[in-house]
Amino acid sequence: MMKLSGVKYLIDQGTENIWKNKMMAFATFCVLLISLLLVGASVLFYINIDSIIGGISNKNEIAVFINDTASFEDIEELGNNLSVIDGVSEVTFESKEQAFQSMMKSMPEYERIFESLGSENPLVDGYRVKVYDINRVTEIIDIIRGMNNIYYIKASQEFVNILMELRRIVTLIATAIIIGLIIVSMIMISNTTKASVFSRREEIQIMKYVGATNGFIRIPFFIEGMVTGFFSGAGSFILTLVVYRAIFKILKNNISVMNVIGLGSIIPFGKIQFYVLGAYLIAGAFIGGLGSVLCTRKHINV
Amino acid sequence: MVELKNVSVTYSSGVDALNNVSLKINDGDFTFVVGSSGAGKSTMIKLLLKEIDATSGFVTVNGYNLSKLKKNKIPEFRRTLGFVFQDFRLIPSMTVYENIAFVLRVIDSPKKFIKKRVPYVIGLVGLQSKMNSYPDELSGGEKQRVAIARALVNDPQLIIADEPTGNIDPELSYEIVELLKGINDCGTTILMVTHEHDLVRHFGGRIINITDGEIVFDEIIGGINDEA
Repeated sequence: MMKLSGVKYLIDQGTENIWKNKMMAFATFCVLLISLLLVGASVLFYINIDSIIGGISNKNEIAVFINDTASFEDIEELGNNLSVIDGVSEVTFESKEQAFQSMMKSMPEYERIFESLGSENPLVDGYRVKVYDINRVTEIIDIIRGMNNIYYIKASQEFVNILMELRRIVTLIATAIIIGLIIVSMIMISNTTKASVFSRREEIQIMKYVGATNGFIRIPFFIEGMVTGFFSGAGSFILTLVVYRAIFKILKNNISVMNVIGLGSIIPFGKIQFYVLGAYLIAGAFIGGLGSVLCTRKHINV
Repeated sequence: MVELKNVSVTYSSGVDALNNVSLKINDGDFTFVVGSSGAGKSTMIKLLLKEIDATSGFVTVNGYNLSKLKKNKIPEFRRTLGFVFQDFRLIPSMTVYENIAFVLRVIDSPKKFIKKRVPYVIGLVGLQSKMNSYPDELSGGEKQRVAIARALVNDPQLIIADEPTGNIDPELSYEIVELLKGINDCGTTILMVTHEHDLVRHFGGRIINITDGEIVFDEIIGGINDEA
C-alpha cells in the first residue's frame, strides 16, 4: 500500500509534467478542445432541432367530439380520463356553443348561413387534447377510441407522420454525425497522446528499470491527461457559451425565423448550462486521463 | 549473486544469441564481460534485467529465479539492482538531485531518508556543486557519475554497468571504473560490460569473454596496477 506522501508525489508529478511538457500538453489541450467542441456542438444542434420539432408537434391537437346523449357527468368523466393518458399535456373542454362561436368568427364570409340556422346548433361538445409526445399520437387515439361517449375523433395523422419521419431522419443523421465525430476525435486524441507519451518513452523505460510499478508510471500520466482534459472541457464550455448565446440572440431577434420554428423552441443556454459544463468537464477529463493511460501501455512492457 | 545455468536464447528471427551459457558471479565480485558487438553481451544484460526470458536454462539474480518470476514481481526484483547505461538515460526534465531521488520515490522511501541519502550519494560521486543542474548542463563524465549515483542510491546488491565508458572521453573512463571499483570495495557486486580492452587490462580482475553467444574465456587476470 502506497503512503499518502507517495500519492501526493504522483499527483504533483502529474500536474508538474503538464508544465514540463507544455508543448505536448498544449497540443493535447487543443485537440481535445476541438474534439469536444465538434461533438458538443453537434449534440446541442441536435437537441435544439429535436426541441423545434417537439415545439411544432405540441401545436398538434386531437379533437375529440362527444356523443349528444352524454350527460354532464359523462362529459366530466371523459375529461378526467383524457387528462390522465400518458403523453397528453393539456385537455381543454369546448362546448358546442363555444365551438359555434369560434366557427362563426373564423368564417365571417358565411355569416348568412350561420344566421339561417337560427337557434339550431349542429355542432357537438368536445375536448381539445394536446399531445407532448408526438410518437404516441396514434397510440393515444386508439386509447381514446376505446372510451365511452365518443362521437368522432379528428387528428391530422398526416402532419403527425411527417413530424415523426422528420424527427427520425434528424435523429439518424445526428447520431451518424456524432458517432463519426467521436471516432475522428478519438483518433485525433489518440495520436496526440501517443506522440506525447512517445516523446517520454525513455522516461517510462527508466522508471521501469528502477523498479517502478505500472501503476506508479501510469498515475502521473493519468493525472496529466485528466487535468489537460478538464481544462479542455472548461475551454470548450466557454466557447460554446459565447457562440450559443450569440446565435440565440440573432435568432431571437429574427421574428420571421421564430415564427417558423416557434418561440421557445430554441433552448436557452441558461437552462442547460450545468449539463453542458458537466458533460464537457467529465468527457474531457475522462478521455484525457484514459487516453494517456492506454497510450502508456505499449511503452510500459519493458 | 548471479547464476546462469545452461542458458540459451533464440530470438523469434531464429538468431541464437546465447548458446548453453553457464556462469556464476558471487556476491562482492567485480566482473568484466567483454566481447565484440553481436557477441551476446546485450542479450545477457537483457536477461539479467528480466527484459527477455531464456529460451532454455535457468537465470538466478539476487536470489530471484528469473525463469519463474511473475510479471508483478519484476519491479520488486529490479529494486535489488542498479543500472548504468552507456547513454546515461537521465530524465532531462529533472535535476541531478531529482534524477537520483526519483529512484527512492519509486520504492516509496520516506521523505526524510531521501533528503539525507541523495546528497550523500551525490557527494560520493563528487557532484555536490551540480546538485541542481539539469542533465543538459553536464559533461558526459558528469552525466555518467549521476547515473552511477542513481544506481547506487537504493543500496543495491548488484550494479550492472552496460558500456558505462562508451560515451565519455578515454581519460574519464578510468575515473568511472575507479568509482565503480570503490563501490565494489564497499561490498556491492559489479558486472561491467565493455569492449575497451585497455581498460580491462588496466584494472584486471575476472574477465568473461563472450563470442558468438558462448563463453570462450572466464578467468581472473592481474591488472597493470597489480603488476606495479
